[in-house]
Amino acid sequence: MQRLRAWFLAPGYLVTVGLFAVPMLIVCAYSLLSRGPYGGVTTPWTLENYLRVFDPLYLTILWRSVWISAVSTAFCLLLGFPLALFVARAGKRRTLFLNLVMLPFWTSFLIRTYAWMFLLRDTGLINTVLQALHLTGAPLPLLFNNGAVILGLVYGYLPFMVLPLYATLEKLDPALLDAAQDLGASPWVTLWTVIVPLSKTGMMAGCLLVFIPCLGAYLTPDLLGGGKTVMIGNLVQNQFTTARDWPFGSAVSLLLLILVLGLLRLVARKEENLL
Amino acid sequence: MNRRIFLMGVAGALAGCTSGHKRRLNVLNWQNYVADNTIPDFEREFQCKVRYSTYGSAEEMLARVMAGNSGWDVVFPSNSFVGPMRDLDLLQRVDHKRLTNLGNLEQHFQSPEWDPSLDWCVPYMFSATGVIYSKKIAHPITAWADLWQNDYGRRVTMLDDPAEMFAACLKRLGESVNSSDDRLLRKARDLAIQQKPLLRAYLNEEVRDQVVAGDVLVAQMWAQVAQGALEASHDLAFCFPSEGFPQYADNTSVLRESKHQDLAWEFVNYLLRPTVTRDTVIAWRTATANRAAREILPTELGKNPVLYPPEDVLKRGEWFRAIPGDAQKRRDIYWTEIKSA
Repeated sequence: MQRLRAWFLAPGYLVTVGLFAVPMLIVCAYSLLSRGPYGGVTTPWTLENYLRVFDPLYLTILWRSVWISAVSTAFCLLLGFPLALFVARAGKRRTLFLNLVMLPFWTSFLIRTYAWMFLLRDTGLINTVLQALHLTGAPLPLLFNNGAVILGLVYGYLPFMVLPLYATLEKLDPALLDAAQDLGASPWVTLWTVIVPLSKTGMMAGCLLVFIPCLGAYLTPDLLGGGKTVMIGNLVQNQFTTARDWPFGSAVSLLLLILVLGLLRLVARKEENLL
Repeated sequence: MNRRIFLMGVAGALAGCTSGHKRRLNVLNWQNYVADNTIPDFEREFQCKVRYSTYGSAEEMLARVMAGNSGWDVVFPSNSFVGPMRDLDLLQRVDHKRLTNLGNLEQHFQSPEWDPSLDWCVPYMFSATGVIYSKKIAHPITAWADLWQNDYGRRVTMLDDPAEMFAACLKRLGESVNSSDDRLLRKARDLAIQQKPLLRAYLNEEVRDQVVAGDVLVAQMWAQVAQGALEASHDLAFCFPSEGFPQYADNTSVLRESKHQDLAWEFVNYLLRPTVTRDTVIAWRTATANRAAREILPTELGKNPVLYPPEDVLKRGEWFRAIPGDAQKRRDIYWTEIKSA
């Protein structure tokens, strides 16, 4: 019986070790080596890649990534909570609405980001309509700024906020809401004193699921930010392409990983039942 | 040149022959560098099956073949990558006896500066970087310095590519595009940062639509990409800046690791045929190093001043070269500073 169990678990272990642990170890090793002349890595072993991250240049980029991600997460929460509540209470049409939330995943993120470029640019749909209605005289600068980056991130990761929120809100016992109402709480008071506190785990999970991929985003800042905004993801990507500095790229991505893990631990300690 | 494209995943291999015992050839090429019929015709004529895949940047290609057991036979390194790939022992020496069509190359591509006796590569396509602009602006663009004028309402873009950005700034300073001098690189960085408030964005190929639509009035652009835009709109013009401009060429090389040397050289020789290259040029508006192919092109392409700048313009061109490791690292730090400014 024991042996049978081991055999069933073996593929899982193999995948975890082979596709996760081994690549992580390679990245660790690379981050401690020196830059090869044409990419790749070479000896001597060094800590320089880690020290270099603390250059103000890279700390600024890290800080920028954190606040852009934080703002995007906040917007996702603001938009996602009412949406999740609405879906959770939609009765029979719940499945339909849930599918609509997930529908964008059927198309490539890259293509959807390009679609935003077409909407936001000077001769794009939004500016054309605004000018046709004489609401604006000249095209508004909608594309290629931090606002466009945040819009792109919110759009891209909103479903990650809605789904865990929906999961908690759906499980919410309607009897509690009835009780609140019977005891004289207005809908507003019910929302703030009953629904919001009870959906805290969902909010935490949603915020993490949005914040973490935002922190590593590089496509959105490149396309919607017009390459004028560097986030940490762009920095890493650049090290593996044009800069050909794999060790530094490895060090930055490992530090990013440590940052994310630290964040997860912090949240997990507060919310024991979250993870 | 577009480093984002690799996200989209690698294009699938082309459908080939049905038999399982045919010879095989593995070709790793830039996007947009063969016509639709190039590979199928080769498969038919040489009774083989070609696995064909593409890459979006020279760095990506190098990373894929650097290990030495990548499984690819033929690659298309840029001129500044030929030397490094030779030094890394990745390339197979060219056997001139096998290349009966080598004489079709333009005279100056028979001995280019990156490989004077064509020992490691065969020049394939080339292009240069200049500026595309709308004819509606007050004064036509003639120099890189014009891109620092605050006349275009922030409707200017530069390429999202450090080598190109430094090339424009260094040429503006009257220096070589390949400079490794730290003092000059700092000056170039300062120029770029000074220009950033005037820019709409840093964009590569994707700016073409916006130039055609009129969103962007002035854009640093590769001549080959610009040609597509010029054909789509009559309101556009292209200039090779007076201070000088960078040039680059992509070459065909056979990898040392290749287990299909015979077929690989047949393929290189096949690409040198005038008709094969002509079809690619017509399909993608590239500029070929093949004189015989150029001669049979329609006039509007073969004598096109953007794709094939006249001699007096070409004199201002400078070939990109491999940048030594230390300078490359400085350049990257300055590039990050520019992008983060």
